[in-house]
Parts: sequence; C-alpha cells; structure tokens
Amino acid sequence: MSDILNILITEETLNMLMKIGIIFLKIAVVLGITLLHVAYATYWERKVIGHMQVRLGPIEVGWHGFLQPIADGVKLFFKEDIIPANADKPLFYLAPVIFMVSALTSLSVLPFFDGFVIADINIGLLFLFAMSSLGAYGIILSGWASNSKYSFLGGLRSASQVISYEIAMGLSLVGVMMMAGSLNLSDIVRAQHQYPTGMFAIPQFLGFFVFIVAAFAETNRLPFDLPEAESELVAGYFTEYSGFRFALFFLGEYTAMLIMSSIAALCFLGGWTIPKFITDAMPLLMNVPGIVWFLIKVYAFMFFYYWVRATLPRYRYDQLMAIGWKILIPLALFNIVLTGTLRTMGVL
Amino acid sequence: MTVREFIKTIFFVEILKGLALTLRSMFTPAVTRRYPKVKRPVKPGFRGLHALAKDKNGRMKCVGCGLCGAYCPSKCIYIYTSDGEDHTKVVDRYEIEVLRCIYCGFCVEACPFGAITLSEHYEYSDYSREPFYMTKEKLLSNWDKYFAGEKGKNYFKKFWRPLSEDFRTPEGQAVFNKIKNAK
Repeated sequence: MSDILNILITEETLNMLMKIGIIFLKIAVVLGITLLHVAYATYWERKVIGHMQVRLGPIEVGWHGFLQPIADGVKLFFKEDIIPANADKPLFYLAPVIFMVSALTSLSVLPFFDGFVIADINIGLLFLFAMSSLGAYGIILSGWASNSKYSFLGGLRSASQVISYEIAMGLSLVGVMMMAGSLNLSDIVRAQHQYPTGMFAIPQFLGFFVFIVAAFAETNRLPFDLPEAESELVAGYFTEYSGFRFALFFLGEYTAMLIMSSIAALCFLGGWTIPKFITDAMPLLMNVPGIVWFLIKVYAFMFFYYWVRATLPRYRYDQLMAIGWKILIPLALFNIVLTGTLRTMGVL
Repeated sequence: MTVREFIKTIFFVEILKGLALTLRSMFTPAVTRRYPKVKRPVKPGFRGLHALAKDKNGRMKCVGCGLCGAYCPSKCIYIYTSDGEDHTKVVDRYEIEVLRCIYCGFCVEACPFGAITLSEHYEYSDYSREPFYMTKEKLLSNWDKYFAGEKGKNYFKKFWRPLSEDFRTPEGQAVFNKIKNAK
C-alpha cells in the first residue's frame, strides 16, 4: 500500500496539486471580489445617475443605502420563478447561464496586477473577444426560447448589434496589438510601461475612441441599449425572465461592463502601471500597489459608462447600424493603416 | 456643412456639452424630500381632512341647516336632523364620505356658521373603507386633534371666505324669536 502511495505521490504530483490549489484559490478570490464589485456597481450606478438627475438614489437601506444591493439580491432570490407556458424550456434554462458564464470566464485572462492572472495565455485578447461573442448566444437564445415577440425582437437586435460592433472593436484593438507586438494582456501592459507616453490611449487615440463606442454597444448599454429598449420592447430579451434567472442576466451585463472597463484599462490606459514620467517626477508613487492604479482606471471607465447613460438618449436602430458600419469600421481600418505606416517609418 | 459645423461633429461638441451639464448637476444638492421622515410643510389654507368646529363652550357649531350638503358637488355630506325640545333643531347625524370628497372647500364657504372646516391633516390611509366614513363624533374629535388652541381661532381669521371672526347674525335681520332670545 505504501509503495503504491509512494509511486503516486511523488514530488511532481504534489507540485501539480499545489499549482491547482493555488489556481482554485485565485479563482475563488477573483470571483468573490468581482461579484461583490458587480453587486455594488448597480448601487454605484443608481447613485451616480440619481445625483446627475438631482435625486438621491438609494438611501433608505443601511447607511446611505449601502445595503441596497444585498436587499435587491435577497428580493430577487425569493421571487416567484415564472416560465412561459410555451417556452422552449431547456434553452430557457440555459440562456442566462451561457450569458453569465461567458462573462465570468473572461475574468480568467485579465491581469489585475503584475503576475496576478488566473490563466496567463498568449492569446488573451482573442479569448476575450471569443467570450464576449459567446455572450451574444445567451441573449439570442433567451430571446428565442421565451416565445415572446418582445424577447425575440430584443434577441435579434442584440445579435446583429453585437456582431456588427465586434468587428469594430476587434479592429480597434489591432492597433494596440501592433504597438505591443503581443496578444498577451500582461505583455501589452508591459509594452505600455516601456512606451514613452506610458499609455496607448495617446498614440492610439483613434483606436481608443472606436473601442469606447464599440464597448458601449457590445455591452448593450445606453446610448446603444436597443436590445432592451424599455420604451418599445418592455425589457427586451429578458422580458419573460423573473427571479434569479433575471438576476443572472443583470449580473452578466454588469460583469461584461466590468470586463470592458478592464480591457480599456489594460490595453489603452496602462493597466496596473502608471506612465514613467509621472513616477520620475514623484518617486513616492512607486510604492502604491499596482492593483490600486488598475482599479482607479477601471472605476473611471465604469463611471464614464454611467455618465454617458445619464446624458445621452437612445439611438435609432438604423443610426446604430450606420455608426457601426459606416463610421467605426472605416475609422478602425484607417487607424490600422496609419499605425502600420507609422510603425514601419519608425515614428511610433 | 461649414468648417465650424464639421469640427463640431467630429469632436462631439454637443455631446461634450451634455456631459458637462450632467456632471455639473451631479454636484448640485438633490431636491428629493425623504417623505415619511421629512414631511412637506403644509401651505397655509391647505384643504385636508374635515372637522366640525366647536364653539367656546365646546358645543358643536353646526345647526344642521344643510347648506354644505346642498353645495357639495360630489354629494358626500349627509345630515339628519330631528325636532328637539322647544322646537330647536337637533343634528342627530352629520356624516361625510371622505373617499368621495374632492376637497373643493365649497362646504366651508357655504356654511353660514363656520362649523365645517378642512384641517391640515392629510395622512389618513387605512386598510379598509370604514375608517373613511366620518361620523359626527369623529368629525368633532378631528377638531380637537387638528385645531387645538390658537389654530382653530386663526383658521377663521385667515382662511375663511368671506373673512369674519364671529358668525353672529347681523343686527336687524329677521330670525326666529327663540334664537334671538338665546343671544
């Protein structure tokens, strides 16, 4: 018996178990912190939009309404779970899960600070695109399975919108890939730290602009929230969902926002680093841990999401498509050509 | 498209202006009043729940003439009177169906004796309809509750139309002998 154990438990297997354990620990930490962030993103959004509309936002539950997300969660958890009689049940159950899982899987390739990433894969950026496209399946399946015209229209709108803006977003990040020479997100951040301006947002301002607009459309946020246009489609693709399934869609949407903000922070704003000329001027800032800079950038981008939501009305659907195909894609292509030319000339 | 318009379109000048506006309004104090905790101050002359006024001696002012009920546009005032001793008119029942009242205040204006009043009380939601059927006793106790002390006196001084403090019958007007003698 002990011989078999000795054969099985070699140093190698122990090391492997350790590695797996560490990965599981990392996953638990990242998931826990992200879900907490997502819950409080809803609170923060309601606060920001409330104050922008000269209201107070949630304030009754706890100190300044601080327990509001928890109260919402408890309420949603105990709500009646209604399934339409003619719904395609397996797909109806599956759709929110696909949506949520594809959003959460994207977290695995994000480097939160130097060295802290669950899966340090070389095609991190492509993986993110793949996952955000998979999320569209959750939306279109929910629209189809609900057997409701509002859900169906919302699902169709979302599918075409996400596919159109996926192109623009992918192309906008090609410039970043050319600048960094890598698809690994950690390498992209390091390349930015080496770069004189410290952020790709400055040389890649065209790409950054296209990315911001595409990110808004990709996460179905205002001013491009046509899939869930309340005034015409009730709630869009999740009209028929209730209780915790509805909460899953909600969580998925906010996780997607968080991930888009993280991509913006990593690819354009320098991730966990700050530009060298700032640390040269103020060496004290070197002591601030990288996660702080990363979170500041992510929060700033999230705030921008809310800010735009409080400001802009919804676009018409043909306008949305026109912006995507006639402006953003040519602009992104032009950016690629410009970046390539300048790179070969050695300017950038 | 002029050059200026072109530049405006490219740099989203209008959208940036809008963003600046929302950012500015984020730092202006909210206008929200947290209602159950912070109540809205009642404006003078507010027309809320009804009350039947009492005179100095604590007797009901109402004589049961029925003018308020005749004026009432939603016909929600019911008055039942009977013949008392010495042929005085006794108000047996004075009832208001509050749920049908539209708070126009015509009953207040119609009353020649300043007997029916509208108080500043407006929070009287309940789970059933019965509490909203105001009987004479309830209406009289409303007077004690919402017009205690100076408030009741000021009500007639400030908000009664036509303004008057005492509702005595003008001298020289024809009245029933017994009432004249009582004064």
